[in-house]
Amino acid sequence: MTPGSAVTRPAQRSRNLRTSRWLLVRLGGAVFVMWAVATLTFFAIRLIPGDPAEAVLGGPGSQASQETLDQVRADYGLDLPLGVQYLNALGRLLSGDLGTSYALKVPVAELLLAQIGGTLVLALAALALAWLLALLLSLWSTGGGRIAAALGQGIELTSAALPHFWLATVLIAVFSSALGWLPPVSTGGAAGLVLPTLTLAIPLAGFLAQVMRETLLDTLDAPFIISARARGESERGIRLRHALRHASLPAISLSGWALGYLISGAVVVETIFARPGLGRTLLQAVTLRDVPIVTGVVLLVALVYILMTIITDAASRLADPRLRSAETGR
Amino acid sequence: MHSNPRPRVRGLASVAAAAGISLLVAGCQATPGETSSTPVAGGTLTYASGDAEPTCLEPHVGGNYPQALIAGQFLESLVSRDADGTIIPWLATEWSVSEDNLSWDFTLKDDVTFTDGTPLNAEAVKVNVEHLKDPATESSTGYLALGKVESVEAVSETVARFTLSAPDSALLESLSQPWVAIQSPAGIARGMEENCQAPIGTGPFIVDEWVKQDHISLVRNDDYTSPPADAKHDGKAYLEAIEWRFLPDSASRYAALQGGQVDVIDNAQPDTIASAEKTETLTHLDAPRPGASNRIELNSGTAPFNDVAVREAFIRAVDVNDGIESLYFGSAERSYSPLSSVEATGYSDESLFDTDVDAANALLDSAGWTERDADGYRVKDGARLSLDFPVSTNQSIPAEQSLFEQIQATAKDAGFEVNISLLDLSSWYGVLAENNYDLVSAPYTKVGPDVLRILYHSDGITPAPSGYFANLSQVNNPELDGLLTAASEISDADARADLYEQAQQIILEGFHILPLYDQQNHFLLGTQVKDARALPTVSTPTFYDTWLSGN
Repeated sequence: MTPGSAVTRPAQRSRNLRTSRWLLVRLGGAVFVMWAVATLTFFAIRLIPGDPAEAVLGGPGSQASQETLDQVRADYGLDLPLGVQYLNALGRLLSGDLGTSYALKVPVAELLLAQIGGTLVLALAALALAWLLALLLSLWSTGGGRIAAALGQGIELTSAALPHFWLATVLIAVFSSALGWLPPVSTGGAAGLVLPTLTLAIPLAGFLAQVMRETLLDTLDAPFIISARARGESERGIRLRHALRHASLPAISLSGWALGYLISGAVVVETIFARPGLGRTLLQAVTLRDVPIVTGVVLLVALVYILMTIITDAASRLADPRLRSAETGR
Repeated sequence: MHSNPRPRVRGLASVAAAAGISLLVAGCQATPGETSSTPVAGGTLTYASGDAEPTCLEPHVGGNYPQALIAGQFLESLVSRDADGTIIPWLATEWSVSEDNLSWDFTLKDDVTFTDGTPLNAEAVKVNVEHLKDPATESSTGYLALGKVESVEAVSETVARFTLSAPDSALLESLSQPWVAIQSPAGIARGMEENCQAPIGTGPFIVDEWVKQDHISLVRNDDYTSPPADAKHDGKAYLEAIEWRFLPDSASRYAALQGGQVDVIDNAQPDTIASAEKTETLTHLDAPRPGASNRIELNSGTAPFNDVAVREAFIRAVDVNDGIESLYFGSAERSYSPLSSVEATGYSDESLFDTDVDAANALLDSAGWTERDADGYRVKDGARLSLDFPVSTNQSIPAEQSLFEQIQATAKDAGFEVNISLLDLSSWYGVLAENNYDLVSAPYTKVGPDVLRILYHSDGITPAPSGYFANLSQVNNPELDGLLTAASEISDADARADLYEQAQQIILEGFHILPLYDQQNHFLLGTQVKDARALPTVSTPTFYDTWLSGN
């Protein structure tokens, strides 16, 4: 807690330098990832069969006349060579323009803005619930003896392996059809959020709990825990105040990945529970070969993913001085 | 030319007939028993669609079934069709045709206005047809339906004259379809983006709001005056509003119906229909789509199905009926016709489709497929008797996919190898456009038997500019072509039906198709929903006469 500002000035400057270099590398990486994602998406959707012009004409199987097709291809620049189309698309993206949906004929940015809220609410609710479940499960399984440990491990493995579509169907069958407690489809209110959140949270909780339990067990054998025990702290205090904080670190850095995982899980969950959101938008757009929407959603998800990674990295750097000093060696 | 005497084809006579027909229509209705109770006005009906959410609510643009489902609530056509298959008045009260069958005059109802206040007149009809034919509208289905219409002229305020390039016996059937419904010219003039959001029609409901991927709100048109001739009442609808939701998952859609969150669901699956029929709280509306039956097409354009003996062997080898019985729980009836059972001109021949593995084996032996390889499949000149069967997961429900697997299994006994590949819609059309298939099931909805010309005339083998072609069995038979062309131009109804019967005989006896059942179209409704029915045009539901009881 000593300020010592006069002494540490050069050190401060070099730390700032390191931080800004870290940030620059991160941002450069982010730009590269965004470019790679845009490029891959653009070409991947052209590699699968299907004509994007038909997305404009109300879906595949169109019997539109040559005139109509020509008109559409000219309107959307689909008559140009693929390379030119790619450069055009890239140029538009660089100027911040995500383009206009082929099928829905509205600006993609407007569409994404309208849909991202629903997906973020769902993903964040699921992340919070997954954390809560994982914490409870790992505390119980590490502190409840051999049977709890074995059972906990089984629960973690099983729930981490549950596919979303199966879990969703079972939850609907139990809580909507049989018990009638919760609506099976979104109603706009909080009740409609429960089943989709559970569907996304349960597998993730299993995964997070696995990571937490392992680090928790390692930490409980660490010397500082032994000394805490020697000081006479209660077992509960040790777990909550000391061990859990350490055990959470890897799980925190996993949360960036988890959010990406949740947003991709939203494709299935939003469809089953009829919730508006990015996942459903993406599914419909892929089916129709609506290139601008697919690119837009994928870029947006990539952006969220990158931002979360940067934030969790920064948080880890703040929380763990070893990460910052490690870079001095390079 | 226009001084020709114009025989009154339909009109007042059909209005009178409509009363009698409503008895038949009752057979299509979902509410048995309680027809004596008095309708109550008010309330909001919640409809849950399992079809894709339309990308544009204006059915002129593109033109698919999801658009037709909702457009029927706010747009109306010049004519409709009753349960008998007779064309009846709707926005047009009567019509007449010139002796050369090239000029049709439609007289419109008086005093009908679109919900934006624009009057419905002959000029509006002209604007609509021109809109459909304009490439900028990007119409596919409606454009095809009006293929022979050259121009429309407003003869007077209420008479619109259609001039054709060739006689079209299917014109009235085509005009009854929702893809050529009449919209407000002022609405069209707003441009595609705005018109796609909320098209303006003369229908009993008005599009109020479209929240993408969630719902469309429809409110009652209080000034409504133009029900089709087979409606049960006059004036405005009983329902105050309809909330139209999109619930793509079959299980959650049914659960929402059971829980009372929604009143009506479409795309009900065989297992949920069976379960609903055991309850007291749900009713089932079975409304097969018109046009073609659901059938497996045998691609006779390439080997091995270019040999009629191999086609017959395949049809004799497979067992379809047991599969339908076990997978559809009685909700689908086996068809032996190229046409839907709602088409009065449909012709069936059950005797051609008896399962007979011995006969199949004999046919294959005689066709030179005499050897079998280690896996039990037949071989000729070193090539296996192998059939590619691309299946669209968008168009074939899980029960149908299972049926195809059973067909695959039973075909094996006779030595056929069937390779099923499950594809999304775009990929599926891609495979078809490349002619990489031997078997395919492709539904086709259209009002009237003219669908046969689209599906089986050799012109249909030539791909459209998009690569799509409708004649997937690739039947190329000059005699059949002659019958179908003649039928499309003949004006006498009996002679037309006779030509279509001959055409269907050729298709069936040539073993070009394996009919399965009607194009399935099932709705489940809560018992509080009274007097809901499907329009006998393309079997989309109409809620004009519908009311909600109790609560």
